[in-house]
Amino acid sequence: MTLRILQKGFNYMQDGPGNRLIYHLCGCNMHCPWCSNPEGMATDSAAGKAYEVSDLAAEAKSCLPMFFDGGGVTLTGGEVCMQPDGALALLRELHEAGISCAIESNASSPRFPELLPYVDHIMVDFKHYDSDRLRRVTGIGNEQIKRNFTAAIKGGHYLHIRIPLIGHFNASEDEIAGFTAYFSSLDRSRFDVELLPYHAYGKDKWAKLGLPYRVTRAEVSEEIQAAFTAAFSAAGIKTVKT
Amino acid sequence: MNTERIITMAKDLFREERALMRLDGWFLSKEIRMKHEGETVGMSESEAAGWLLKKVAEELPLSVSDNAIFVGTQRDAFARSYALINPSFKVESFAGYCDPTAVFGDIEPNEEITAERIRLVKAHDAETPYCRALADTYAACEDHTGEVAYFIEQVTGHVIPDVRPLLKFGSSHLLVEIRAKSPENDKQKQTYTAMCYALEALEIFASRYLAIVNGMKASAEGERLCELERLSSALSRVPREGARDLFEAIQSFMLIWQVMCIEQAPNPFAFSVGNADRIFEPYRGDVTREEASALLRHLLVFFNVGDRSWAISQNLIIGGRDVDGNDLTNETSYALLDAYYDMNLPQPILSVKLHKNTPEKLYRELGRFLFSAGVLTPSFFNDDALFEVLEKSGIETCDLPDYSVAGCQEPLIMGEDNANTTNSWLNLGKILELTLTNGVSAITGKRIIPPSGPEDFTERLKNIRPLFYANLRYFVSEMAKAANGAAYAVSRLPVPFLSCMMGGIEYGYDMRDTENQGTKYNGSGCLIHGLSAVSDSFIAIDALLEERPQDAEKLRTALLGNFEGEEELLAFLKACPKFGNNHPAADDEAAALANETADIVREEKNSLGNPFRPDFSTPSTHLLYDYWVGALPNGRAAREMLNYGTDPLAGDAHDGLGMRTLSAFRLPYEKMCGGYASHFGVDPNYFRADSLEGKGIEFRDKVMKPLFFNPYNEGKISPFYLYVNVTTPDILRKVLANPKKYAPGGVYIMRIHGTFVNFLDLSSAIQQDIIKRLNLKSTTGVSC
Repeated sequence: MTLRILQKGFNYMQDGPGNRLIYHLCGCNMHCPWCSNPEGMATDSAAGKAYEVSDLAAEAKSCLPMFFDGGGVTLTGGEVCMQPDGALALLRELHEAGISCAIESNASSPRFPELLPYVDHIMVDFKHYDSDRLRRVTGIGNEQIKRNFTAAIKGGHYLHIRIPLIGHFNASEDEIAGFTAYFSSLDRSRFDVELLPYHAYGKDKWAKLGLPYRVTRAEVSEEIQAAFTAAFSAAGIKTVKT
Repeated sequence: MNTERIITMAKDLFREERALMRLDGWFLSKEIRMKHEGETVGMSESEAAGWLLKKVAEELPLSVSDNAIFVGTQRDAFARSYALINPSFKVESFAGYCDPTAVFGDIEPNEEITAERIRLVKAHDAETPYCRALADTYAACEDHTGEVAYFIEQVTGHVIPDVRPLLKFGSSHLLVEIRAKSPENDKQKQTYTAMCYALEALEIFASRYLAIVNGMKASAEGERLCELERLSSALSRVPREGARDLFEAIQSFMLIWQVMCIEQAPNPFAFSVGNADRIFEPYRGDVTREEASALLRHLLVFFNVGDRSWAISQNLIIGGRDVDGNDLTNETSYALLDAYYDMNLPQPILSVKLHKNTPEKLYRELGRFLFSAGVLTPSFFNDDALFEVLEKSGIETCDLPDYSVAGCQEPLIMGEDNANTTNSWLNLGKILELTLTNGVSAITGKRIIPPSGPEDFTERLKNIRPLFYANLRYFVSEMAKAANGAAYAVSRLPVPFLSCMMGGIEYGYDMRDTENQGTKYNGSGCLIHGLSAVSDSFIAIDALLEERPQDAEKLRTALLGNFEGEEELLAFLKACPKFGNNHPAADDEAAALANETADIVREEKNSLGNPFRPDFSTPSTHLLYDYWVGALPNGRAAREMLNYGTDPLAGDAHDGLGMRTLSAFRLPYEKMCGGYASHFGVDPNYFRADSLEGKGIEFRDKVMKPLFFNPYNEGKISPFYLYVNVTTPDILRKVLANPKKYAPGGVYIMRIHGTFVNFLDLSSAIQQDIIKRLNLKSTTGVSC
């Protein structure tokens, strides 16, 4: 069994706690116009490389000295659930080896819950509370995402929810209320929220791929970010910055 | 103390120094020695050296700048020679520093120092026992050194004198101590006499400077008069007597250093101070950090000589621990950091000793160095690991906290250790090439060694390791003989003044003596080049034999033809596993090669019976020696750069800092008692903290702790050296394209090997090497 990997390497306190080996898996079912890895959107992306799951597991086990400060392995994407069988096999093996495992996912796949028993840290994107709005921009609605959130929390998991704040998509005063209302419907002791303001890191990559980069006026002011944080705080929703 | 004025004067003093386009003092000192040589008839070489140093002290022209608050200079000890900052340097024509009379080409004749004067001194120099012995040594090994299978050199500078007794007690005390000695033989008696002459030379310098300062007082007024009176008062006491405060200690130190360098003029590169914070802290008293820092700025300026800071590779250390693990950082450590940061000079080099208990404050304060563009960055040493390495190599426990760095990165014990650090240089890449060609240079077609082993190329590939190691043993043995010849040659130039600070008073012998050991520890250095280039070549050969054995013969023609027309084979070779990517086979091969090479080197002994010390560092010489190495099976083309120190070949490690660190863990650091070099070019965008101090902590957490103090690596000896440049190739290209914008003061400090350099002073080849070696894909996190 193989996993197609776009990129791998270590990051510290960025994609889960401590120093972590990050595997960016190829393939994504969303098509976010601001994506910073457009070259990896296709599951069979030529920018990626196929690895045997057993080789990846062996590599991760050899990296033990680098998993300091509570680190381990993080599977991210693209979207992890686009290669569910390989991801599941790898997480299971690493979990059994006692290595801390994390995933970073958009949680839109019905197979998302299958991964959770082998994961210590769950990072999920939540781009919009309004399913139609999300579908219009990314091609995917949020019904399954919400079901997965509810199931994960009921199952005793803790979610680290990330909102990429994109101007003219999800970062207006009105939308603050919508996000707050949705989060208030969840058990607030079982998740926290991090705001990720828009950046244009992927812009050059789109150009290199010959694809139009259609995002404009997406920057989000510090005032809006502060307003999000204040509203969440007032509603008892924990916000964090990693 | 008017610290603002003192700081301004230090900066003006540096500007004065950078405007100095001639360095004639070394020539004048040679001429003075030549003039008085007749007075030394009947003296031993040691006594003559001391006597002639006194004559230099009496006659060398001296001056004191209006911007000086201390007296003393190193400009009379250095020529405008050092290759890497010499604009005329070219890799193609560099021949090492083997001809001691080549320095006479670095002085331009003028009306005062005429061509005839230069010719006379040069001719005299060429006939000295030292030059003759050295010429004989080089002649005997030129077949091997011509294409740099190995290289040897006479070592000057490159030790760490222990100035503390002289600072504390003064020269008068040491003279009393020496005169009370009971020599056991004539040699000891002569050495002690020479030491007395040399210490008297120090006092002569001080009294001549005192006279100048007293003369300046006559026309001075206000604050300047106060400064001169303070200076006069200090010079009336030090270095003859012990220093009583920080001002006197710095003044005493500068005169001691001046005499030590003049004794070895010209070009005693890489003398190092040791832990300057520990040396000066006992004298600080109630002087504040700010005041101490102002005074220390003048000490830093003292290490800059002439228009390009030609006194290169002099090193100051701060920080570190004692044998029980207690931190020894003190207020002077931070005062020195303040001085370094504000002055941002090309010299002296700053090194920082770290250990598990290094205070967070030190990392915070280092942030500004690491994350300010164009500002010097220190190199880092891991005390916890180095204590173990040095102890295993025979250093007594009580001496461990006194290890310091001679020049770039070689760990020596201050005042106790003559390691002849750059005595020999070994080129594994060339030896592999000669192994593949069965002894014939792929560069020139010249036969370097007789054929041995199977003639069939495929058979040679199958037996590449034993054939390589047999050749390695041969070359190392020949190298050691030649290196010992160079050490003998330089022993004909005794250094009684330096010997006073290297244990000579206790042992009674000159520190350069090759018959009687004049220091507690002694050895000879061997700098080993091409580690990963060769280990990756072994891996590529294995892969070729396994996966496409039919192409073995093709490899021979590809190597000789520098891969021209063999692009497909080249792609295969380049795609083979490489050291630096946490690939077990590639990393283990590098470790095995390092292990075996270190053992072979250490088996060789110098004239005093002490082992050669394996030092896996390549102070830009990877760039010089690569020029003589043909194409290698790892895919490296002929004359292309070899790998730097223990690092992967530039471009061959691409999986980021974590993987590279894991590869580094596999190397046998316990075998690298001579030191090693490693460089991380770190992308500043990898650090996100809002402040420089915060980034200093982040640097600790992301780079230093994982590499040096990794809890999972306990039980093994961790890496113990690293230098970094936190920048990107794009930034450096911009600096080169528009220096007025990015370096308006004309100074943009980078690290190159163990030393700082003004990036703008470098030759083009070295600038491009620095850019290439940043190799960010090997040293950053993943970013998606």
